[in-house]
Amino acid sequence: MNDLCTKIRANILDVSHTSGHGHVPTCFSVVECLIAVYAVMRHDPARPDLADRDLFVLSKGHAALAHYSTLAALGYFDAAEVDAFGAFDSRFGCHADRLKVPGVEVSTGSLGHGIGVAVGMALAEKIKGSGRRVFTLIGDGESNEGTVWEAAMVAADQGLDNLTIVYDFNGSQSRCLQIPNPAERFAAFGCAVSEVDGHDLAALTAALAQKTDKPHAVIARTVKGQGCKTLVDEVFAWHRRSPDADTLARLMEELNAGTV
Amino acid sequence: MRGRFKQTVTALAETDPRVVVLLGDVSVYQFRDFQDRWPTRFYNMGILEPTLISVTGGLSAQGFHPFTHTIAPFLTERSYEQIKLDLCYNQFGGNIVTCGASFDYAWDGATHHAYTDLAILRLLPGMEVTQPGSDDELEALVRSQYDNGRPTYFRLSDHPHAIDTGPTEFGKGVVLKRGSSGVTVMTAGPLLGNVLPAVEGLDVTVVYFHTLKPIDAELVASFADTRILVVHDAFGLREAINEVPGLRTWYHGLPDAFCGWYGTLNDIRARLGLDVGGIRDAVTRMLADGTVP
Repeated sequence: MNDLCTKIRANILDVSHTSGHGHVPTCFSVVECLIAVYAVMRHDPARPDLADRDLFVLSKGHAALAHYSTLAALGYFDAAEVDAFGAFDSRFGCHADRLKVPGVEVSTGSLGHGIGVAVGMALAEKIKGSGRRVFTLIGDGESNEGTVWEAAMVAADQGLDNLTIVYDFNGSQSRCLQIPNPAERFAAFGCAVSEVDGHDLAALTAALAQKTDKPHAVIARTVKGQGCKTLVDEVFAWHRRSPDADTLARLMEELNAGTV
Repeated sequence: MRGRFKQTVTALAETDPRVVVLLGDVSVYQFRDFQDRWPTRFYNMGILEPTLISVTGGLSAQGFHPFTHTIAPFLTERSYEQIKLDLCYNQFGGNIVTCGASFDYAWDGATHHAYTDLAILRLLPGMEVTQPGSDDELEALVRSQYDNGRPTYFRLSDHPHAIDTGPTEFGKGVVLKRGSSGVTVMTAGPLLGNVLPAVEGLDVTVVYFHTLKPIDAELVASFADTRILVVHDAFGLREAINEVPGLRTWYHGLPDAFCGWYGTLNDIRARLGLDVGGIRDAVTRMLADGTVP
């Protein structure tokens, strides 16, 4: 599994270099979260429209490249197609379009939207009594949006125990408004809360598989840029930047050497 | 009109298990028997309009036909980005049903007046926009559109007209009076209740709309050789009509200013010249010299 995570990070770097697009550090912080979600979800890459599949909504839509790389690694489509990331006629935009990409359930981009739609999906499945689960991945910066907390209140009020909120706690807001203790906050909003190392696949998978009697917020403590020391050390400079050929080679070396 | 809305949704829910109701803590008393009959398909979510829309999108994505209802300015202006993205861009359906539009809550002041809703929602790709003027129009439009998988806006009124406008067909306008002067009055929604008596005895044509998107462009274009006076107590109709090329139009309605008065709907309509007398004056001037105040 760790090899898979390295492969996905390498693909993110390659595509960012080729395309000139991508939020690489935030993509790197969520790789294990994505792998763990798909490890727990009922889904079939050969049948993205499987009727009783579980649902995943990437609420922090700017991590789309990590999502594409994960879906490609799982077999939803050919990874080579993602090289056209952000290009005019590509189906792989810098924020995903659900009508173009198999495995993408909701088109996201503007922050604070995906979680609300995910709550609606979970409510729908509760009304049906289907047993299907809904997962959503949100960012800590995104969680400055009030709608995140509206959605959390609604999920708790409706007892949506089929909803799991993965919170990417990568410290992205260290230079502005911060949520110092998201576990406490989600608990205060009526969620069951787990807190794990967001780069520990076993811990993440165990947390995501856990059954709770409330909506479950999994606080994933992550490192923005995890995998490459340069990205971690210069996180704001790299927020939306693509590596040139020389830098790509250096970042690949760092990645393969496991520098962070 | 809220009563007919509730009756219609209840009737649909009896045969369609995909009908669900989300409220923003308004019209709750109206829907109490709906809640008693189908508690899992009713949710008075509360005062959080953006999430009302996002949840609408999620329910629609999973096969339901939500009716999402609260006060017009908050559900349309505050939640505009949710309507744009979580419904329209995602191509998720849903029925957005508002009360209090234009000056139905006149006494509450400018924070509660809502006259941009029709205009701004028209701009969103895939959105259907209606302004039923009567209870019968509302029921017909709801029945024909609620389950088509597209986002549809229904603007309720606490002051509907009671005029028989004939069979209600989504997207179609209606000619209610034919004149020979070359002046055509176009209007929409409940204000028809003032417009028709205002033009009594005047030699004008009256064209009426309950659907603003899609506007009945073919009907509008058929009056291109006349002078068109748009009479409306909101924005949106004038803009929709003017998308038809080659028209000569004038507008009698809202100023580019907040209507900072209280009172009643009729008080504000009178101040704006949208009472029967004010409309008659505007039409009379149009007939006399081609201008409006």
